[in-house]
Amino acid sequence: MNSMNSIVDDLKGKFDIINVVFPDDMQMAVDVDKNDVHTVLSYLKTIGYKQLSLMSGVDWIKENEFEVVFIVFNWDNGIHILLRTRLDRENPVFRTITGIYPGAQYYERDIHEFFGIEFEGNPMSYKDLFLELWDEMPPMRKDFDPLAYSQDKFPERKYESQFIPEVGVIK
Amino acid sequence: MKEVKLFLGPQHPGMHGNYSVHMYVDGDIINKARPMPGMLHRGFEKLMERRYWMGNLALIPRICVVEPDPNEMVYAMGIEKLGKIEVPERAHWIRMIVLELARLANHLMSIGGIGAPVGLYTASYWSTADRDLLLDIFEKITGARVYHMYIVPGGVRKDLPEGIEEEILKTIAYIESRLPEYYDLVMKSPIFHDRTVDNILLPEEVVWELGVTGIGMRSAVNKEYDIRKVKPYARYDQVEFNLPYAPYSDAFTRVRFKYIEAEQSISIIRQAIEKMPKEGSVRAKISTGNALRWKVPAGMVYSCIESSRGEYGYLIVSDGSEMPYRIAVRGASYPQGLLGVEKYLPGHRIDDASLWMDTMGVCAPEIDR
Amino acid sequence: MFNIVEDTQKTREDTRKTWEKIADYFRANSIWMKWYCTGCGAMEMPPTMTSRFDMEQLGMGPMATPRQADVLLITGYLSAKTLRRVIYSYEQMQDPKYVIGFGSCTLNGGIYFDSYATMTRLDHYIPVDLYIAGCMPRPEAIMNAFDTLIAMIKKGEAKGWKHYQDNYEWYNANQIHSLKEVRVKDEFHE
Repeated sequence: MNSMNSIVDDLKGKFDIINVVFPDDMQMAVDVDKNDVHTVLSYLKTIGYKQLSLMSGVDWIKENEFEVVFIVFNWDNGIHILLRTRLDRENPVFRTITGIYPGAQYYERDIHEFFGIEFEGNPMSYKDLFLELWDEMPPMRKDFDPLAYSQDKFPERKYESQFIPEVGVIK
Repeated sequence: MKEVKLFLGPQHPGMHGNYSVHMYVDGDIINKARPMPGMLHRGFEKLMERRYWMGNLALIPRICVVEPDPNEMVYAMGIEKLGKIEVPERAHWIRMIVLELARLANHLMSIGGIGAPVGLYTASYWSTADRDLLLDIFEKITGARVYHMYIVPGGVRKDLPEGIEEEILKTIAYIESRLPEYYDLVMKSPIFHDRTVDNILLPEEVVWELGVTGIGMRSAVNKEYDIRKVKPYARYDQVEFNLPYAPYSDAFTRVRFKYIEAEQSISIIRQAIEKMPKEGSVRAKISTGNALRWKVPAGMVYSCIESSRGEYGYLIVSDGSEMPYRIAVRGASYPQGLLGVEKYLPGHRIDDASLWMDTMGVCAPEIDR
Repeated sequence: MFNIVEDTQKTREDTRKTWEKIADYFRANSIWMKWYCTGCGAMEMPPTMTSRFDMEQLGMGPMATPRQADVLLITGYLSAKTLRRVIYSYEQMQDPKYVIGFGSCTLNGGIYFDSYATMTRLDHYIPVDLYIAGCMPRPEAIMNAFDTLIAMIKKGEAKGWKHYQDNYEWYNANQIHSLKEVRVKDEFHE
């Protein structure tokens, strides 16, 4: 916990940190503005957080925002830092971090495909990765309904009615 | 120079699972490689948002087919962290036994599986048969061969059956006696030496660039970087084990490490059976009322463990409702399976491509999710 | 009146049927199978093929390419992306060809019934001779299915491939509805 507090003090002294929470021991979540992400990440990389463990998005539809989470890990002290930032949901544009962590290349492509967040400076991220010939809105957005899509695209097997007990079904 | 487009997979016998790499080759040297994942994409992350916290238990083991238990473990750990749930002591040890048995089964599979790309099919026949003994144990403990759904939030689903400890000890003793035979068969084979020694290198810079973890990382950076050591979960801090590490990572080193890790897993299982409390509760009570409808406090947490291929983690976001708000999966082979293939497969020969996938530890279902 | 045309046709039909029966007998006893590991079910194939359960006792063996195989095993859930490759592989196979669908995912979508990426029933797109229920089917169930398939071929009941030829328009319409393009032209995205 001491080492965590010293990192927090260090970060707070150097950057504009909006909020810090500790979800678990050896783990902290740091909220920053989207313009500060690159400087904070570069700094973290120089102090030992050399591995980008995961980069992902969260769709906060009620607040009309996307959250991008960068998880970096320091193998020497075992601390995970979750760096979080919020983007406007209407115009989700972010600058690529592949210059800092080259491994983010495919995570960005992944997030672009599933959330529709654009990454400037990463031309590869605009290509399809997992989905092929996808024509709907990005599927991980909260307003996308997979059941309706599935029923429309992939017809279900129709079972005869006697297989389903009519009695006792609460509708 | 003449370039030919070549497809490796998704139906190639040398490919591990339903995964594809498109290559531009000149002669038998790969000039350019493009990974093509997504053939196993099921939209897990979306489906998990549509199920109850408890209902997801049936879904999550299916993310990685070869080694399903780490999924259950990270999911359970994440919920325990969010809900501040104390797991009973005995459950920790049972979890460790199950996880190490799974690691052992997976290492056996890949020790034998290395036989296919180098042409030593005997090894894969042997290892599949030996792995089946472990599946029998799983069946006795959990009721299923492959997908166990055994590690649940708050502990494990039920206690170990009576007398299973002796059976586990007997089986792992047998597998331990078989490991030298595998070593003689595979690692001492001149063909295997020719194909793997000083081939398919993984330098330290590449490890940090891609984010490779697990055996690939330990064999390159010469440090004991393992989640079990760096931030121990369950009761890994109470057992003794030494993991192999080296400064030079070629295909041979990485396969050799799997043998050593298999031995270490056997030793961990022995210690766990010896040290675990012989009786006691195995599952903490999480809530009163309908188990399907329990709620997890709001929050965001990243939980991770060491799977046989590296750091395996879930980012779990809860908004305090009956269903998860978002779960993001970090597949252990995501870095090397996508960017690694694109950047570092070129330059190798076509026949080394499947050896590359095998020794780097690429598992398609956890990349695709 | 003596109708030579009709009569010859009838004789030909009879001869063809007789030959078909003889052929079915031989087909049933040596089956090469291609297992497309579309999903989890592929995990139980190695134990089935190797020494513990030993599929070869039934006269079945694994084959590397679809063009040389008789049976196509669809081992598990199919995403839309895989389904395109499955249809492509199926059409490459020589007649007679048989299809076995593994697990509840090919049967009715299984646990992925509401997924946007996976299809819910396989027999909508290619003819399936036999389904194995379960998630995932155990090696014993797989062996049992092979046994049943052999009996079906001997009796001349496994006629999915003929059904595909006769109802190609229906199958094709379903494929187009779900997949838009069955053959993907730009796979390299370049």
